[in-house]
Amino acid sequence: MKKILFAICMLCTYTAISQNNQSVIDSSAINILDKMGSYIGTLDACTFTLERSLDHEGYYGLEKHFYTDEVTMVGPNKMVVKTRGTQYNKDFMYNGEKFVYYSVDENNYCVLDAPDNIIDMIDSFHKTFGIRFPAADVFYPSLTDDMIENFDNIIYMGNDYINGVLCFHILASNDDLNVQLWIENDEDPLPAKMVIIHKDGNHNQYEATFTAWDINPEIDAEVFDFYPPEDSKLINIMAQK
Amino acid sequence: MKTQSFNIANVSKLILFALLLIAPLTIEAQRFGHGASMSRGGGASRPSTGRQTINGGFHKQPSRSIPSTRPSTLPSRKPSTTRPSTSRPSTSRPTTSRPSTSRPTVNRPSTGNNSSRPSVNRPSNNNSRPGNNGNLSNSTVVNRPNNSHHNNNVNINVNNNHHNTIVRPNPRPYHRPPYAYGGFHYYSYHPYYYHPYRPFYWGPVWHPWGFFVASLATTAIIISIENQQYYYDQGNYYVHQNNGYTVVQAPVGATIKVLPDGYEVVDTGNTTNNYYYGGAYYEKSNDGYTVVPPTAGTIVENLPEGGEEVRIGDQTYVQYGDTYYQPVQIDGKNQYEVVEVKQED
Repeated sequence: MKKILFAICMLCTYTAISQNNQSVIDSSAINILDKMGSYIGTLDACTFTLERSLDHEGYYGLEKHFYTDEVTMVGPNKMVVKTRGTQYNKDFMYNGEKFVYYSVDENNYCVLDAPDNIIDMIDSFHKTFGIRFPAADVFYPSLTDDMIENFDNIIYMGNDYINGVLCFHILASNDDLNVQLWIENDEDPLPAKMVIIHKDGNHNQYEATFTAWDINPEIDAEVFDFYPPEDSKLINIMAQK
Repeated sequence: MKTQSFNIANVSKLILFALLLIAPLTIEAQRFGHGASMSRGGGASRPSTGRQTINGGFHKQPSRSIPSTRPSTLPSRKPSTTRPSTSRPSTSRPTTSRPSTSRPTVNRPSTGNNSSRPSVNRPSNNNSRPGNNGNLSNSTVVNRPNNSHHNNNVNINVNNNHHNTIVRPNPRPYHRPPYAYGGFHYYSYHPYYYHPYRPFYWGPVWHPWGFFVASLATTAIIISIENQQYYYDQGNYYVHQNNGYTVVQAPVGATIKVLPDGYEVVDTGNTTNNYYYGGAYYEKSNDGYTVVPPTAGTIVENLPEGGEEVRIGDQTYVQYGDTYYQPVQIDGKNQYEVVEVKQED
């Protein structure tokens, strides 16, 4: 009898340990992500500012770089991103037909034929040219499903204040990444902050804070056209392998 | 017998208890088998409802079910005080953060209208380079390093293997991490410092690749390398083509007695210096000066016509044949460094 009890205790202990290593998908977190995704999916247009910091692998370790992005989107196929920061100053301009990468520092630009909607454009140029659009993840229409697919744990951590706004704190993790999102506690929730921590190497961090949201503004279509500045030069762009 | 029955009953209860503990684990594992089926890229499955939203509307897997292993802990929602709770009229929010007239008009062509402005309406040329995909414009996409494609339509490579632009690695260790893009590492000894590429001309007797002449000066000499005949004259190498002579890149292995006027000595970082003229590198040999490929890390001040600027990630390099030059600044002077390109492991 003692042996049986011992075996059962061991089984219970193993089960408890195993469960600690199991994935946790928190329904509260999913509901919050769904609500934010649903609201973003209703937006016809928006502008916001993103304050970003990211780590770059340098010879002496991680180097921190800071950027401010002014993002303008009009559905379904117009987008401008103006990035200013410590390492690069550049503009992305997309008018539904063409995508322009303009380097402000170098006064040169690349023009590419573009897909006919923002998400396909973002996805296509990220895959083909490694172009990263700031905080684009939260605008994917399948955000929640993507997170469920890619993260073992998605947990609602509680409430927190970001820039004085009450937010829900969501944490998602897998073997490679720890992603944290702060989403406004509001009927129409918008993302307030995002942090990505890499679990490998030097534990690079990416942090982005959303500010100055402007929802459904009227924006002149001409804003999305690119007019080459004086003495600017059209150059080629290399695709990734 | 009674004791034995009691033991069996207790053991059964304990086993049942243990199974209950295991159950959530199994349920959760099944749950993860129902991940999102949609690959990223919302366009493919976007409903065609005519909506003009920024991402085509939120997608949610219909079969998604959230496990009950963790109770809902969502707190009561804060009442919306700063934002209208339902629809947001598009005119109710001023576009204060981005006025539509924010782009300074000084950058626009003074005489152009929308239809005549360049860039976004720029027609693609007939460049036939491979390496792109989808509906991306052929005109501005280049393919991988170590290709031999070039802007010129002239057959400057004359189907030989004597390219003088394939970089020789430098044995000196690099003290800075390489720039990484697209599965390749770009090594240099100096930091990236952009300055615009402006082709340099080595005087009136020098000609860029592809330059065609009907006849050669009597001072031209014949150089044969592996059954390919070249004509050399004053720093230019020609091949016989189309009843005339076309300038090609200096063939590796060609040896000349005297360096052309205007050559310069460049430091390769090795024990052997190179002599540089017109985009070609020479090394002293027993018979004179022999054309060699560029050595990674070599610094030159001028690049000839025939190069082109290429955006590689967030940096711009000058591609000249198979050589990538990184713009650098050394002692306040704009120069170029020969880059060593290695495929990532």
